[in-house]
Amino acid sequence: MKEKSLRKQFRLTKKVFGVPYILFLLLFVIIPLVLILVNAFLDSNNNLTFDNFKVFFTSSSSLTVLGNSLLVGVITTLICIIIGYPIAYILSKMSSGKILILLYVIPMGVNFLIRTLATKAIFIALGVELGMGTVIFGMVYNYLPFMIMPLHTTLSSIDNSYMEAAQDLGADKATVFFKTTLPLSVSGIISGVTMVFIPTISTYAISQLLSNGKIFLFGDSIQLSFEQGMYGVGSIMSIVMLVFVLLSNFIMNKFNRQGNAARRSLW
Amino acid sequence: MKKSAVTIILIALLCCVLLPTLSACDTASTASGTDKLYVYNWEDYIAPGMVKEFEAYYFEVTGRRLEITYTTFDTNETMMTKVLKGDANVDLICPSEYSIEKLLLAGCLENHQDIYKDIKPELDRLNAEGQNITLSGMSSLGNGDGNIIPDIMEVIRPMFGALDDGKGNVYDMTEYMVPYLWGTLGILYNTSVVSMEELEEYGWGVLWNIQHNEELENKILMKDSVRDSYAAAVFYMYENTVYNRGVHKLPDGISPTYNKPYAELTVQELINCTDDAVLNAAEVALTEQRDHISGYEVDFGKDDMINEIVYADFAWSGDAMWAIEDGGYDEETDTYQLGYYVPPIASNIWYDGWVIPKTVRNKLAAMLFIDYMCRPMSGIQNSMEVGYSSAVSKELMRADEDVCAFIEENDYDIDEYFDDEARYPEINENLGVMRDFGSANESLVQMWQRAKSGNGISVSLWWILLVIVLLIGIVVGGYFLLQALKLRPRKLKADKSDLSSDSGQDIG
Repeated sequence: MKEKSLRKQFRLTKKVFGVPYILFLLLFVIIPLVLILVNAFLDSNNNLTFDNFKVFFTSSSSLTVLGNSLLVGVITTLICIIIGYPIAYILSKMSSGKILILLYVIPMGVNFLIRTLATKAIFIALGVELGMGTVIFGMVYNYLPFMIMPLHTTLSSIDNSYMEAAQDLGADKATVFFKTTLPLSVSGIISGVTMVFIPTISTYAISQLLSNGKIFLFGDSIQLSFEQGMYGVGSIMSIVMLVFVLLSNFIMNKFNRQGNAARRSLW
Repeated sequence: MKKSAVTIILIALLCCVLLPTLSACDTASTASGTDKLYVYNWEDYIAPGMVKEFEAYYFEVTGRRLEITYTTFDTNETMMTKVLKGDANVDLICPSEYSIEKLLLAGCLENHQDIYKDIKPELDRLNAEGQNITLSGMSSLGNGDGNIIPDIMEVIRPMFGALDDGKGNVYDMTEYMVPYLWGTLGILYNTSVVSMEELEEYGWGVLWNIQHNEELENKILMKDSVRDSYAAAVFYMYENTVYNRGVHKLPDGISPTYNKPYAELTVQELINCTDDAVLNAAEVALTEQRDHISGYEVDFGKDDMINEIVYADFAWSGDAMWAIEDGGYDEETDTYQLGYYVPPIASNIWYDGWVIPKTVRNKLAAMLFIDYMCRPMSGIQNSMEVGYSSAVSKELMRADEDVCAFIEENDYDIDEYFDDEARYPEINENLGVMRDFGSANESLVQMWQRAKSGNGISVSLWWILLVIVLLIGIVVGGYFLLQALKLRPRKLKADKSDLSSDSGQDIG
């Protein structure tokens, strides 16, 4: 009788398949996060201290770098929307759009480092001076697919009859777009913005390669701190970065709920 | 549900406990069977065949097989972090002078003479069997300089001869370390863009392009390394003070560390000075330099110089040798595409040395390896492969027939090779040695961050943002304007369009 109940307990349910995943999360997400949190309060001799906070929040250098990163993130995201939305819109209207979108997705299969190095080689061959412009180009180039994909999914899943109804009721093309298509695709825009903005504020390889290290972003700053053995300050920076990621996620979610558009987005 | 959560946590904890013990088992089992040696060295810092050669030598001498596990690091800081945190389980490390100082003061290193006492019985046994192991090449065993260049030992002794860790221990670095390779910091330049006269007149100022060479503007590379770039800034300021140039001089006033005016400090004192005044002056110099250079690198400088993407590079001597050799050579005019120049007024001399950390397990192999690296033949092979100068004495190498044959095999003239000033510079007081900055390192890193990020957010970036915002403003404003214009003549239809928009929102 007892054996039977034991066996019953160990039934191969769906939950069992979740165990490896939970273990993985615990080992490689939760524990490192705890380590960062602990390190943030330790000085180089492993004593409890709050100096790391003071060092970070009072130094103009780290705050400038953070400001730089946020600005680059905002600019990249805006450019991605401006370029990405029309492309996604046109592709969703075309019958061959599903195939054409592959053209944007296939380059994502190539490692981003290789793509960035190739971009750098092209810039050098063209004689373009490496700097802020090239960094933003590289970022937009790398993250544009992340903007187009969710937008395309959302746009192509909008029922055409809404647009037809609007036209029947006398709206011209622009009105149809701004009053039906755009509000209905808000969820796509939001997931696109999340997918682009969050990685761009933490990026560092692209900025380093495409500016020869002249553009110094928050990711570079974190890397430098850890390289120099300044674990405390590095941990604080990581936490600040995490806060920004969570904050932007939270804001996006808020927006998404307000928009309450069709939750058919891929992401 | 709760139970499963508890099990999961238990399993996770079990994993955490098991992992270290498992890896510990791994190292313990190696005690039997073949001998092991763990070497931790810079990347590309040894002749490729050297490791195998030593394994064969070890077998010949001891009759036991040796398996060398060779791992590499790319900066002193990475290596130090690993060693100080106790994550590096190695027998031999090859750090630079200032990080040897730091490791030594942290109590991480073994005294070679103590190790010699430990392995003496075994050495005696092997020598009784007909071997002839003297370890005479090593400079750390208290009987002279071994095979090492005496001038280098002369640089080390006064500086690192008596290091006090503040807890009553005094260390003599020469007993803990045997120099391996050494070199200088200088300017790698393109001979068709930068002239010798320019270099002689402006020295380190060339890296700031103070001579306003139009071709050179934005075609300079600096090192993406805190210590080296700080050193360059200090040399530059020293030079400006000595030549009385109008820009970027050393600060006025008296240094609190040395109790002397800054202008009277020696190169040696300046390179290790972390007074706020010097740091601030260096920050100004480095921030301004940022506007004249192409960027910061540690690895692609050589290639960019050869491919003429840039025309000047702040380089280590070995990298420079390597680049000059790989770069072009015009036989008609007998000129190389690239050249290496060390401004005689001030520069840095550095060396890397073999140390044995406290984690050593195979003491015999570690000592034999160091001694093997001190052989003239090993020295020339490493030097030829890596580009840096070997710390093995020039005279010993010259007297060795095998070495001479090897140099000629590599298409060098023996006299030319040893008399090359770029390879074997005259060691004098204008070459400073870097020391550990200790706790001041953090303010240096902060300064470096500020200098690298420039004067805050660049104005052009704000312009880009402004243009984008304007663009969006125009599109949105234009739309509303258009709508307003459309609505005016057709006022009756206004209700209708409102209706459609309402319904649209409802559906959404």
